[in-house]
Amino acid sequence: MAAALASRFSRGRSLIGSLSNAFSGLMNSSNGIMNGNILSQQQQRTFIQMGTTLKVVDNSGAKEVKCIQSLKANKKGARLGDIIVGSVKEAIPKGKVKKGKVVYGVVVRAAMQKGRVDGSQVKFDDNAIVVVGIKEKKKKKPEENKKNKVEFNQPTGTRVFGPVPHEMRNKKQLKILALAQHMV
Amino acid sequence: MRLVKCWFCSSTIYPGHGIQFVRNDAKIFRFCRSKCHKNFKMKRNPRKVKWTKAFRAAHGKDMTKDKTFEFEKKRNRPERYDRNVTENTLKAIKKIDKIRSTREAKHIENRLKPNKQKKFNEDKKELNNQIDLVRAPGVSEKVKVVVPKIKSVQNEAMEE
Repeated sequence: MAAALASRFSRGRSLIGSLSNAFSGLMNSSNGIMNGNILSQQQQRTFIQMGTTLKVVDNSGAKEVKCIQSLKANKKGARLGDIIVGSVKEAIPKGKVKKGKVVYGVVVRAAMQKGRVDGSQVKFDDNAIVVVGIKEKKKKKPEENKKNKVEFNQPTGTRVFGPVPHEMRNKKQLKILALAQHMV
Repeated sequence: MRLVKCWFCSSTIYPGHGIQFVRNDAKIFRFCRSKCHKNFKMKRNPRKVKWTKAFRAAHGKDMTKDKTFEFEKKRNRPERYDRNVTENTLKAIKKIDKIRSTREAKHIENRLKPNKQKKFNEDKKELNNQIDLVRAPGVSEKVKVVVPKIKSVQNEAMEE
């Protein structure tokens, strides 16, 4: 909530806003520890923004991805179900996706709670994505790219690990739901 | 719409309330309010936290085994709508609720009953042994003092 307030104050400068969020979060926690009441300082979960490291929960090859951009129009960042652009920081040696590649991913688990239509809130234990596309170096004619809006529907991996929320259905990520072990 | 139980305190969670936490092993924890959620984050065991239903059931404070609880099972098959069935179910819910609450009250009463007699005996013993706290030991009961009539003294004074 504090982070949301801070970002509301710094409208046009989302990057600085995000940094100040991080700083204020750090300040809060350090003050809390200094006062001796660690238990009263509850962790405030916020959006997935530039710099957030996320776990990759498919067998595409990547293990960890650092968010570069959230493709959502929301200046605050990405949430559960949104698509992000990320840089692969850690990958298995022989995978489809290699370290240093820029990938598109769908957020399938977010530590920040998301409201559902029945009024309840859901939250997960960690931030996790499923890779749905790899960014290639653009050498094609610019006309082709501008025509179609690229839909990120097909995951690059063939398996998905861990629980997957129903929100994927709304976001048209039906393949991920089909591959999921557990649906929440 | 489904009414679920809070994982920590076992109270019913109505639609629009509470937070659902999904762990990575796909276990879902539902909390009715932030009090329960925060206690969970503190890694407290509900069986040891006095105000939860889990504690009361584990320590025999509340009734646990009764047939009235079996009416409230979780059913995953959707029922085909039948007006009569719905009407009868609603009536039954009220009746079963009443029966269950009277039985629960009886259970607590029975649990407290032997203590009543015990307390009475203790109080009686205390009264007998420590009556000196109330009355001084040397003092006896009321003693009747006879006051004689002294008319003759008065007449003598007046004559003089």
